[in-house]
Amino acid sequence: MKNLFAILSLAILLTSCITEDVPDNTPKGNFEALWNIIDTQYCFLDYKHEEYGLDWDEVYRRYQNRLTDDMTKKELFQVLSEMLEELRDGHVNLVASHETSQYREWYDNYPANFVDTIQRIYLGKDYAIAAGMKYTILEDNIGYLYYGSFSAGVGESNLDEILNELSICDGLILDIRNNGGGMLTLSERLAARFTNEKRLTGYICYKQGPGHNDFSSPEPVYVEPATDRVRWQKPVAVLTNRRAYSSTNDFVGKMKEMPKAIIIGDKTGGGSGLPFSSELPNGWSVRFSASPMYDPDMKHLEFGIDPDIKVDMTSEDMSKGIDTIIETARIYLRNHKE
Amino acid sequence: MKRTLLSIILLCLCLLKVQAQGDSLQNHRYVTRATLYGIGHTNLLDTYLSPMEYTGAELRILRENMRMTKYMDGKVSRQSLFQANVSLTENKAATGSEFSFLVNWNLAYHYQFPINENLTLMAGPNLDLNGGMIYNFRNSNNPVNAKAYANLGASGIAMYRFRIKVHPFLLRYQLNVPLLGIMFSPEYGQPYYEMSVSKDWGKNICFTSLHNQPSVRQFITLDFPIRKTTLRVGYICDIQQAKVNHLKSHAWSHAFMIGFVKHFQLFNPYK
Repeated sequence: MKNLFAILSLAILLTSCITEDVPDNTPKGNFEALWNIIDTQYCFLDYKHEEYGLDWDEVYRRYQNRLTDDMTKKELFQVLSEMLEELRDGHVNLVASHETSQYREWYDNYPANFVDTIQRIYLGKDYAIAAGMKYTILEDNIGYLYYGSFSAGVGESNLDEILNELSICDGLILDIRNNGGGMLTLSERLAARFTNEKRLTGYICYKQGPGHNDFSSPEPVYVEPATDRVRWQKPVAVLTNRRAYSSTNDFVGKMKEMPKAIIIGDKTGGGSGLPFSSELPNGWSVRFSASPMYDPDMKHLEFGIDPDIKVDMTSEDMSKGIDTIIETARIYLRNHKE
Repeated sequence: MKRTLLSIILLCLCLLKVQAQGDSLQNHRYVTRATLYGIGHTNLLDTYLSPMEYTGAELRILRENMRMTKYMDGKVSRQSLFQANVSLTENKAATGSEFSFLVNWNLAYHYQFPINENLTLMAGPNLDLNGGMIYNFRNSNNPVNAKAYANLGASGIAMYRFRIKVHPFLLRYQLNVPLLGIMFSPEYGQPYYEMSVSKDWGKNICFTSLHNQPSVRQFITLDFPIRKTTLRVGYICDIQQAKVNHLKSHAWSHAFMIGFVKHFQLFNPYK
């Protein structure tokens, strides 16, 4: 009896509060909170130090000098946004009620390589739309399928119908230019239509602790064939540009491992870190890359995937309403007819 | 680790079973059931979702089933407590919201120590099972964190019976403290997507004890008669906390409860 009450008493004594130390809601406090979130949870600090010399401690010193106690929230937002731009990551955003910060140089500094008015010429007037996918058959019996967002929830039966419709074609152009990403599960679902066997397509890690290198063991990621579903058995050309980002980048990485797929166009935009969210004492939300993904050789995909055939749209072609990248894919598929 | 903990839980239940071979008293057929409904305030922290605390209102239901058993010469009671609570909370800046849902089932066996004719103290082991989730409305790939944990703990009750005029009153205080358990938790920055592709969930099952799960549930209730029924009013202080896999969480809830108590006797119509 006495022992039991002693245990209960001890238990009450040990019931201390578990709380998180959060800085004050001041410019300095919000700056500290944001810097700490990135310092402890962002997954590419060491990789980016190797790539372009990012030094997050030095960033702290440089930006804290720009803080003042009486700065407005817009001024603070400007300083914090610029600090986040040092990460050169399209997955990093600071979200306030008046503005959302975004790093855009991953595509702003490159050719657009996609013109929707020219795409319309290829689609013609009789193209079909299903679950966010536009598709048609080009004059040379090449199927053309455009998927503009991995947020557009395409279902298994949609894919069955579309691939079945295009099955008479000699090859397929799968155009994912300007697809800024969405759901990884849709990337897997689509890639599963292009393989007849289970394939290793990369690895994923996550942070196990706040240290820059506290990563888990890489977990292999496989694409398994879509069983009892329509699977594409002929050559497929995947068209890319810099705005193929995030889940689209992941999809391109998966398609790189498919034997009958070729990647044509420009290097993808990257964005291989699975983003997490957190927030600051003033209520602003921050999104950041938290979980890195790699290719099968454990190489980072954060800054994009090189195409197998590098092509840019030329001004001359564009003036004639010709999409150089689509034309390159048509030539490739005609030459690799089975 | 899981196997060891499971063995300990099974051993405790077996001990109770062995002790159950003793003589029986007929009062094990008396059952007290109570259903209480409550409203309160909760303070949530889950650093997997956000480093900020979220506060707001919660709704809670509690169902209690208590009866005497045959164990240890009929001096052991069995208490089954089922609780469910939902809350809608927001951060201090009122820019983000979280919804939480938690279900708790608590099975306790108390040995009774009558102090005098008014006061009875009760103490014994309890099994504590919990499941639920917290959903953050604006997060990207970490919008939700699932809650699942089981504990073996200690439970104590102080019951004081008194009368005002001829009316019987029952004042009760209960304390449940988890001592040893297992808890599901993602790792520090582990997306649920990774769990879906991984086959190794070893690090997602954590051993817990007082050092990393200092939690406590306290109940104060007063039973009093109104005409032919018994009304129960109460206050619950539910402090659930954990610090595992570099993640901190707490759910501090305070709720005022009200409901009815039913007393009845079980009988076998075929005897």
